[in-house]
Amino acid sequence: MIAKKLDISKLDVLALMRYDACTRCGECTSTCPTGGEAQDIELVTPRGKILRLREFYKAQYGLKARLLGPKQISEDQLKELSSRAYECTICGQCKTVCPAHLDTIEMWENMREFLVANGLAPLPAHESIIKSIENYGNPWMQPRTQRSRWSKKIEKEVKIKDAAKEKCEVLFFVGCTAAYDPNIRNMALDTARVLGKANIDFGTLGNDEGCCGSTLLRTGLLEPARELALKNIEMFEKASPSVIVTSCAGCYKTIRQDYPKVGKVNARVVHITQFVNELIDSGRLKLEKRVDGIVTFHDPCHLGRHNLLYDEPRKILQSIPGIKVVEMERNRAEARCCGAGGGVKTAFPDLAQKISLLRVEDAEKAGAEILTTSCPFCYQSLKTSIDAKGSKLKMMDLMELVRQSCSP
Amino acid sequence: MYLLFFGMVLVISLIILLLPYETVYVQDEAYLDTFLIVIVASVIVFFLGTLYNVLLWMEGKGLVGTPEGRLLRLLPRILKFVLSRRFGRILSVFLKDALYLSKLKGRSVLRWATHLLVLGGFAAMFLLDLLVTFSLDFLKYQPMIEDGGWAKLWIRDFGFELVGFMMLVGLTMATVRRFIFKPKILRTELPDATSILFLLAVVLGGFILEGMGIAGRIPGHQANHAYSFFGYALSQLMPGSVGQYYDQAWLVHGVVSALLIAYIPFSKLFHMIATPIAIEADKMLPTGVR
Repeated sequence: MIAKKLDISKLDVLALMRYDACTRCGECTSTCPTGGEAQDIELVTPRGKILRLREFYKAQYGLKARLLGPKQISEDQLKELSSRAYECTICGQCKTVCPAHLDTIEMWENMREFLVANGLAPLPAHESIIKSIENYGNPWMQPRTQRSRWSKKIEKEVKIKDAAKEKCEVLFFVGCTAAYDPNIRNMALDTARVLGKANIDFGTLGNDEGCCGSTLLRTGLLEPARELALKNIEMFEKASPSVIVTSCAGCYKTIRQDYPKVGKVNARVVHITQFVNELIDSGRLKLEKRVDGIVTFHDPCHLGRHNLLYDEPRKILQSIPGIKVVEMERNRAEARCCGAGGGVKTAFPDLAQKISLLRVEDAEKAGAEILTTSCPFCYQSLKTSIDAKGSKLKMMDLMELVRQSCSP
Repeated sequence: MYLLFFGMVLVISLIILLLPYETVYVQDEAYLDTFLIVIVASVIVFFLGTLYNVLLWMEGKGLVGTPEGRLLRLLPRILKFVLSRRFGRILSVFLKDALYLSKLKGRSVLRWATHLLVLGGFAAMFLLDLLVTFSLDFLKYQPMIEDGGWAKLWIRDFGFELVGFMMLVGLTMATVRRFIFKPKILRTELPDATSILFLLAVVLGGFILEGMGIAGRIPGHQANHAYSFFGYALSQLMPGSVGQYYDQAWLVHGVVSALLIAYIPFSKLFHMIATPIAIEADKMLPTGVR
C-alpha cells in the first residue's frame, strides 16, 4: 500500500529538470548555513533535499515504478522531508556555489509549494502566522488600525502623505515588521526622516497597506499570497506613484520579483538603499555630519543573492563622514545568512539563533564596532544574538546611520 | 510524438547497422555482428530512457495537456530559439558555464581540472568518433585508412590517445579524491561508484586494447607507435601472443562502451544532458512555466 501518492504536477518543469541536473558534487553542503554549518545534517542540505525528493517521486513516477509498480513511501518519511525542507532559510548560498548553475532559490520555494499541495506543509509553527495574515493583514497579530501608528511620532517633523487620498511621487511601502514591531519601528521612522530630509514628496498607504505576502510565498502558500499581491497592486494603481520604495528586503524581493507574476506594477520598485544612493549621487541628500565608528555591513539574502544589490549600501556607508567600513570575511554573494529567513526563525528559533551567532562572530572578527544591515528581519535576528552573546557590537539599521549623518 | 521519436531512433539504428565497417580491426565478423546488436540495443535504451526522463519533466506545472503533447508543443519553440540570433549569444554562455565550468574553476582549480579532463575528454572523443566514422565509412578518406597516413596517425592514433588519456587522468584524480581522500562534501553511494568505475572500465579498456593491438601486431597497429603513446607503453608489458585474443577484447570493450551509453539516462551521468538543458531552459521555456 502506498502511504501517499505524491502529486508532482505542482513541481515546476524547470525544477524537475534541475533535480536531474544536480551532479551530487556536494559543493552546496559545506556552505549551507542550516544543513552544513549549524547542524551537519545531510537531509537539510540542498543536495540532501534534492536527492530525497527525487528518490520519492521517481519511486512513484520513474520507469521502474511504471514497469513494476510504485514504491511505498511512508507518511513518516514524507513528514521528515517536509520538516527538513523548512529548516532552510532560502538564503541562496547554494545557488551562489552550485557549479551546475541551479537556481536553487526557485527550487526551494517550489518544493514548499509542492509540499503544501500534497498536504505535508506548512508546519504547525507557521499556522499562527498564516492565520494572523489572513485575519489581520500582518504576521504580528496586530490590528489593522495600528499599522500607521509608528508615524504619529514624527507627524510634526516630516510630511507623510496618505497615498490612498493624495497624489505623491514616491510611495513608501513600510512593511509589517517595521510598522508593528516596537523594536524595529525606528527603521520606518528613520527611513521617513531621511526621505523628508531630501524633500521627497512621499506617502504611505497607512492602515490600508497590506502584508506584501512574502511570508506566505516563502512557506509555499501561493494562493493566499496571490490574493494579497492583487490587493496591494490595486492600491498601488490607485496611488499611482512613480516610485515604490521599500525599506524591507523581503518586501522588496516580493514586490519586485513576485508581483509581476500576478499583475502589473507600473511604478519603479526600489529598495531604500538604491533610492538613498541615487539621492546622494544627485545631491538631493547631503551627508555632512560625522558619525564615527567602524562599521560592517551584513548583506541581507533578499537584497544580495536574491537581487544582486551589493554596491548601494556600501556606497552609502562610504558617503558618511567619519565611518570606516570593514568587510566581514564572508560578504556580498558569499555572505553568511542571519538565520531568520524562510520561516526558520518561527519554526526553529534555536537553529536561527545558532546561525545568527555565527554572523555576529563574523562581524566581531572583522573588527567592527557597529553591525549594520538593511532588512528588519536580519536586524531583529542579529540584534537578539548580539544581546544573547553579550557582544560589544552595536546593531544599527543603515537608515539610522544615514539619518544621523544628515541631521542638523 | 512517438512516431517522430521512433522514426529518429530507427534512422540512427539503420545508420549504425548499414555502415560498411571495412576498416574495423576485428577479424571475426561474428564479433562485429554481436557488437552491432548490442550497440543498437543500447542506443535504443539510451533514447528511450532519455525520453522517459524528459516526459517526467513535462509532468510539472505550468504547461497544459499530456506530457507528450507538452513536449511536442515545445519542440517548435525550441527549434525557433535554436535558429534565432539569441542562440549564438547563449551558446557562448553555455560553453562557458556548462562545458568550461567557469563557476567551479573559481571555487577549486583542482576539481575544475578533474571535471574538465573527464568531460572535455568525453566530448572530444564523441566528436572524434563522428569525424572518423564519417571519414572512413562515407568518404573512404585514404589518409585516415592507410597505416602511415597523416590522419590515421594524428587523428585515429594520437587524437584518440590524447582525449582518452585526458579522461584517464581526470578519472584517476576523481577516483583518488572519492575513494582515498574522501572529502566530507562527497557522498559515495552505489550510483556514484558505478558511474566512475564504468567510465574507468571503458577508458582503460580502450588503452589495453590498443596495447594488445600493438603487441600482437594486429593490422592498423604497426606504424609509428609513438602516436599511440600510452597504448604503446602498455604494449611493452604484454607478450606478442595477446594478439590472438584481440577480437574478444575488442568485443568486451565495445560491449562495455555500449552499455555505458545505455546506462546514462538511468544514472547520475544523466546530468551531462540535464545540466546544460536546465541552465539554458530558463531562456527557452515560455513565461508561466518558470
